[in-house]
Amino acid sequence: MKRTTILVLAAAAAAFGLALAVSLLVTRSDTAPPLADAARTVLPGLSAATGEPVLPALATLRPAAGSVVQAPGPFDGRFVLDNLTFDGRRVAATVRITSDVSGLLELEALAGFYDAKGTLLGTGRYVRPDPARQGHAEPTAPAPGGAGAGEAHRVTIDVPAALRGRAVSAAIGVPVLVNE
Amino acid sequence: MRASTRSIAIATIVVAALGGTATASATNQGDRDDRDSGRAKNVIYLLGDGMGRTHVTAARERFYGPAGKLVMERMPVVGQVSTYAVQPRSGQPGTPDFAPNFVTDSASAATAWASGVKTYNAALGVDAKGKVVPTVMELAKRAGYRTGNVSTAEITDATPAGQMSHALARGCQGPSYSASSCQDTEVTGTELPTTDIRVTPIADQIARNGTADVIFGGGLSRFDAADEKALRNQGYQVLGSPATQTVATRRDLNSAYGPKVFGLFNQGNLTVEKFKIANPSAPQAKEPTLSEMTRKAIGLLDGGKAGRSDGKGFYLQIEGALIDKRSHANDAAQTLQEMKAFDEAVRVAMDFAKRDGNTLVIVTADHECAGFNIIEKGTFTNAEAATPPGNVDSGNTANNSTPSRPGRNQLDPTRSTGIINGAGAGDPRNFGPATFRTPRDPASVKDGSPEASLWLSYLSGNHTGADVPLFAYGPSSERLARSLDNTDLFDVVGQALRVTR
Ligand SMILES: [Zn+2]
Repeated sequence: MKRTTILVLAAAAAAFGLALAVSLLVTRSDTAPPLADAARTVLPGLSAATGEPVLPALATLRPAAGSVVQAPGPFDGRFVLDNLTFDGRRVAATVRITSDVSGLLELEALAGFYDAKGTLLGTGRYVRPDPARQGHAEPTAPAPGGAGAGEAHRVTIDVPAALRGRAVSAAIGVPVLVNE
Repeated sequence: MRASTRSIAIATIVVAALGGTATASATNQGDRDDRDSGRAKNVIYLLGDGMGRTHVTAARERFYGPAGKLVMERMPVVGQVSTYAVQPRSGQPGTPDFAPNFVTDSASAATAWASGVKTYNAALGVDAKGKVVPTVMELAKRAGYRTGNVSTAEITDATPAGQMSHALARGCQGPSYSASSCQDTEVTGTELPTTDIRVTPIADQIARNGTADVIFGGGLSRFDAADEKALRNQGYQVLGSPATQTVATRRDLNSAYGPKVFGLFNQGNLTVEKFKIANPSAPQAKEPTLSEMTRKAIGLLDGGKAGRSDGKGFYLQIEGALIDKRSHANDAAQTLQEMKAFDEAVRVAMDFAKRDGNTLVIVTADHECAGFNIIEKGTFTNAEAATPPGNVDSGNTANNSTPSRPGRNQLDPTRSTGIINGAGAGDPRNFGPATFRTPRDPASVKDGSPEASLWLSYLSGNHTGADVPLFAYGPSSERLARSLDNTDLFDVVGQALRVTR
């Protein structure tokens, strides 16, 4: 590149810098912080989750041998739990959603398993398979219980292998429930 | 080209570019001056969830007759809004990896107007690639506006959450994190750490991010004692109590004061108006209506009689959520009553805007729900038919399609056992229409009778891809008198409030 070219470019660059500075001074909004900085992405004082959801009530229940009971959870006003069974190998129940709802988005159930003294030995979890995270299209198959019966979901949770034979009773509840 | 000529040419280009910069700068300044005439001190953004054009028409005919008008229909500016979403990991429109999804959900739609980007169904405050995008409410808050968010749904539900959270999945509402409901590895590849805002339960976000000064709605069971403490620490007056799961009441609402108020009136969604009207002594009847919450929110944000006129203005979002939820259920009677309740909230907003003189009011929807339609009195729909309508023109075979459909559309008596809010109400498998009397019907005509003049039916129990109506009033409203995309609403509101550039 020739010397004259460099000089002309330098002059032009200086003029451009000056124009830019003037432009920044007269248009105040150009100095505003970036839009993206407005997003609230830090939550002071919140400790991050360290595991999957729990039902604190499981630790206080003492179901009698051979029995299965419902463990209280945050959404008990939104469903009825019935057909509870426990055969020593798995606990099962039907979650029938009763609240004013449209499509079901999320459903998780948590079971506690207890020894003969009613001591909590461990837990098992049911997570409803996600047929369509996309949107909330209704399932195409008829709901168990038939039309008009409300949304009913059969939930089964196996006794963890390590607790087989020791678990003589169970409790089950719902820590996660989201409808569209 | 010789060197000296070339250097002059380069200099000319640079100077021309400089001139261009100066010109553009002046033009921007000019635009700003022009736009100042469209600046709004306040914006009230009301949406009827699932409210399609027919929802508006049917509510008008039901409550005011065909020659009447809803409050929203009296607003001077009318537009229409396209609502499509995109697939997970899609680019924005105009990019090579753009992948549309023709029918949106409330989460994607809320993100479109709140943040100006297309995203996938279930996403809130993130684009389709999972990148966090700021919302109008966050921008307004940062700029010094006061902010409010009101809904008849759980306040963690998609529409209100779209303004005050960032989540990969709308199901991540709380009170607890779970990987299944909060993560989306289709978008992020691997699971995000639980410290990431995008997998933080929405209730935890709302209780701590301070994005909305006034929060009214349902969904108390999403919040817990720690959330209540976090709210109080930020100076919120908390109506009822998340810690004890005590729902707030209309009485609590009426006595609320102060710059920041949080009140949830049901553990889940609020109760449909139709039930409260029929059961005035039920506990649910203590829940405020949408118009009561709207009036209070405006009063708190504007300052009103308290004389807080020092404020810069406010941005308030109001959602009539149960229009959608009851449309999913194909419950026309409840849907219409929710439309009326929503329109009464529009009345409150418009009364304020007319008094104030500097408030932009926008009334629109996120999507249509259920293919709601008005059918001719005495007719039936395909859902009630044994066969589709015939498509044969024996007089002019050029009009026949292939394959042609001979025969005539016949009512299938097993699919239509009578009007679903009338004679067929006892049959849950019935596809019949719902009929309603309208103001000009003789007094003897009852809802659910064949004599009632308004016959309504549904295409499905899900959202449709139909454009939705928009009504507007106030500064900048003329920018909405056209065919819009839902992402355009971000620009119009952002510029009316001067919070975007
Ligand atoms: Zn919906």
